Amino acid sequence: MSLRRRLTLSLFTILVLFAFNVGTHFWGSYARSESMVAYRQAVEAAQLSTELEQMLNDQRQQILVLATLRETTDDRLDDREQERAVSDIGNIRERIRNLGALSRDVTQLQYERLLASGNALLDEWLAFYLNYNDDAFAVGVDDPLPFLEASQRLKELEQRQAFIAVQRASVIDRTIALTDRITVIGFVASIFLTAILGFFLVSYTNDSLKRLKRGTERIGSGDLDYRIEDIDDDGELGDLADAFNTMSDKLRAAIEEEQQAKRDADEANAAKSIFLANVSHELRTPLNAIIGYSEMLHDELGDRKRLNRPQFQEDLGRITLSGRQLLALIDEILDLSKIETGKMALNIEEFHPEAVLHQVCESLIPILQQKNNQLTIDLGENLPTLHSDAGKFRQVLINLLSNANKFTHDGDISLSVRRGNPPYDIWIAVADTGIGMTPEQQEKVFEAFIQAEPGTSAAYGGTGLGLAISRDYCELMGGRLSVDSTPGDGATFTVELPAGPTSVPAAA
Amino acid sequence: MTAPCILLVEDNELGRDMLRRRLNRAGYDVVTAADGEQALDIMRDRQPALVLMDMSLPVMDGWTACRSARADSRMCQIPIIALTAHAMANDRQSALAAGCDDFATKPVDFPQLLAKIRTYIPT
Repeated sequence: MSLRRRLTLSLFTILVLFAFNVGTHFWGSYARSESMVAYRQAVEAAQLSTELEQMLNDQRQQILVLATLRETTDDRLDDREQERAVSDIGNIRERIRNLGALSRDVTQLQYERLLASGNALLDEWLAFYLNYNDDAFAVGVDDPLPFLEASQRLKELEQRQAFIAVQRASVIDRTIALTDRITVIGFVASIFLTAILGFFLVSYTNDSLKRLKRGTERIGSGDLDYRIEDIDDDGELGDLADAFNTMSDKLRAAIEEEQQAKRDADEANAAKSIFLANVSHELRTPLNAIIGYSEMLHDELGDRKRLNRPQFQEDLGRITLSGRQLLALIDEILDLSKIETGKMALNIEEFHPEAVLHQVCESLIPILQQKNNQLTIDLGENLPTLHSDAGKFRQVLINLLSNANKFTHDGDISLSVRRGNPPYDIWIAVADTGIGMTPEQQEKVFEAFIQAEPGTSAAYGGTGLGLAISRDYCELMGGRLSVDSTPGDGATFTVELPAGPTSVPAAA
Repeated sequence: MTAPCILLVEDNELGRDMLRRRLNRAGYDVVTAADGEQALDIMRDRQPALVLMDMSLPVMDGWTACRSARADSRMCQIPIIALTAHAMANDRQSALAAGCDDFATKPVDFPQLLAKIRTYIPT
């Protein structure tokens, strides 16, 4: 569950508890005020009853006195006195009616009884007053029964009212006690529930946060393979853990990239150093001959007795040869450097490959004869006209053929040319029956200054640049150069070229 | 008195011819070898007074030849001067580690080479 949902739920629960408490309070207040009204009415009724009892007593005394006076004297009531007496009776009726309006629901029975007996009594009293001056009227007020009954009924009502008041008071007490209890229980429950909710919230969140902290510490200390797992949260903390994991992945990828780039740079640097060391080695070999022969001839010139002209001429020829070798080597190194820096340009022209192949083969006859190798040329039909760099094409073939001748003795060298398989237009294979190469040697054979074996350079001569340059030339012309060989059983180098360098851009 | 014999091991034909003739003129008897195996054979049979050894050799390279010579009681006393176109500092280290007594780079500084030879073959 997400942190936000947990917080919302907790807040909601606390609000519900709070609302419950407030509700209880209002309900308590309402119930109390209801009972309070009833109680007040009861008290009021008791007061009214007492007043009514007093009025009834007063009226009865007055009537008894008047009745005695009527019999013993000739005194009669004047109009004003009669009016006042009628009004008093009306007042008493009014009082009784008022009493009925209070707590009507619970005192109905008692009230109706009071009303009946009260009315009878008051009717009798009213008749007494109205007929007081009439001598024929027989006064019946001596009879105490109606009065006693009305008094009795009033007392009953009074008792009932008192009973109701007591009842209401006890309801009030109970309500107060109940609401107090509910409030206290609600309060304690709120505290308890809030504490529990808080505890769970904190412990849930705390666990996840601790794992997050541990994870970030480990990631921070460089353990980028560490994953923050077990965050049981599809909300914010889970997202945070995911974000940390993603960050760690990205960091690791960036660091690996950096390290790879550094390794590449180191390798390139090391390769450059090895290249330089090799260049130095290759330049020193012809220079050794040039300087050595020159110094020797210089010494011989100073010693006329030993001067042997034919020998002298031969030695000068050796100096020239070494100089030319040195120049060729420098040219090759420069070519390779031009290719590597992307400055080698193609000199595009239309040419027939057959013509170039024949020229190349002819020029190689002397060295083939030196090693007693037989060259077979097999040209296919419908060879395409190439639109490429004839000079580089020629150079590649010279390199491959002289290379084949270099590693073959008393053997066969074959040159086969066919139309190429798409996307290439021409296919040329140079096969020899020489020493061959292992698969490991084949992998490295196109690298600069590498001949199949460290010793071969010395044994077979050459700089080890020819194949590197040939491969680069082939790629520059949009084609490729590959090798297939078995140790001891010769090697076959295959050139595949498009008719023009732009026709296979992807291969370049 | 016969001239001291020096074995010159060098695979490059011109370099070998040139140095052989210069050493002859300096008064040494020179036998030549073109690879490490030939060199070991000659050292064993002829017991030369000193060996000038190129390190990059076909068949058996100079480092291997030196180690073999040093391990063989018949050849371990013969001084060997490495003579190589590998001119870096670590090339000198590797030559000495293989058992060479001294080290000279190509192109050869001939007077300096003679001086080195004389420390091993007193005249």
